[in-house]
Amino acid sequence: MANPNGTDSRKNRIRSLRELPQDIPPARDLWPDIAARIEKHAQGADHPSVETSRRRPRPSRVPWVALAAAVAALAVGVWVGRALLPASGVSAPGQLASNGTQPLLPAAFVNDPRYIEERKQLVQQLEKKLASLPPETQNKVKASLATIRQSITDIQAALGQDPGNALLQELLVNTYQDEMRVLATVNQAQPRQEI
Amino acid sequence: MASVGGQEIDWEAALIQRASKGDASAFERLYREYSGRVYALCLRMTRDAALAEDCTQETFINAWRALARFETRSAFGTWLHRIAVNVVLGRRRRSSFGAEASLESDHLEETEWAFDTPVEESEIEDAIAELPEGARDVLVLSGIYGYSHVETAQMLGVAEGTCKAQLHRARKLLKERLNVEMS
Repeated sequence: MANPNGTDSRKNRIRSLRELPQDIPPARDLWPDIAARIEKHAQGADHPSVETSRRRPRPSRVPWVALAAAVAALAVGVWVGRALLPASGVSAPGQLASNGTQPLLPAAFVNDPRYIEERKQLVQQLEKKLASLPPETQNKVKASLATIRQSITDIQAALGQDPGNALLQELLVNTYQDEMRVLATVNQAQPRQEI
Repeated sequence: MASVGGQEIDWEAALIQRASKGDASAFERLYREYSGRVYALCLRMTRDAALAEDCTQETFINAWRALARFETRSAFGTWLHRIAVNVVLGRRRRSSFGAEASLESDHLEETEWAFDTPVEESEIEDAIAELPEGARDVLVLSGIYGYSHVETAQMLGVAEGTCKAQLHRARKLLKERLNVEMS
């Protein structure tokens, strides 16, 4: 990098690093590309409180935040499941309740007595089961659960703004199932089992 | 801050507020004001003009997305720098450039980075560009932009001791390469 300033500074002698230029304009105008990407994001409702000049109605941005959180939760949930469980996997109550033709709404899912009872038992056993696992595994499970529960909170907040959003409803159910999968996985793990 | 009719108007705060509500023209004015500052940091950290341009663009796009979370009591330029550092570090990680070994030290205090004799700007820039990545990052943030050890460490996601050790290393290497004494 001969001269980041792009100007003739060969004769410019200074006595301190603080005298170096703090601003160096880029060789080309970067704004058109930035503006294009901003516009693209605006069309995807990505800006927190965007009000485009066209003022056209757009879907809420929140679902995409929630979607990202849910995907992250799903990733860790699946990861923990694969790491700890035998290949058969675990069925979450929501999956048992589904008839395979209609997606379950979150309210129906969380009010399912089987879900409530099974979750209650798994949560009660969690600390004891966790204590039997290696510390590294304990930390990973705790981190996964924290991520999943944060995702549930985010998606619930998004649903609060857009209650009829079917995608969000499905994501919320999936995330509840992810939590159950992690809880069940820990419950079935063998003592000292490592990831 | 400008004065109109006896009233102080903080144009930057007004632009930020407008931009946070989705006004792209207001955000463009902020870009015009700060693009040089962001690009300079990206260029010094990456040593690559094209990569620095990409990082600058990503910085402003990330800033646009996060504007609603910007707290006006902090400096907008510093906030942009934080985002820029994250972008550059993220690029490095994705490019699988290995992170340098963590160093711990607590024996270097913040300095002015002054030379005993004047040195050509281009010589200094060249010497900085040749520094190892970790040392260069802290020198750019602390030595050129004047961020404290704490701020620099936070921006780079390293321990304060690591930051000080890297500065010590940068200072030693810079002295050797420029053949000058530094205070």
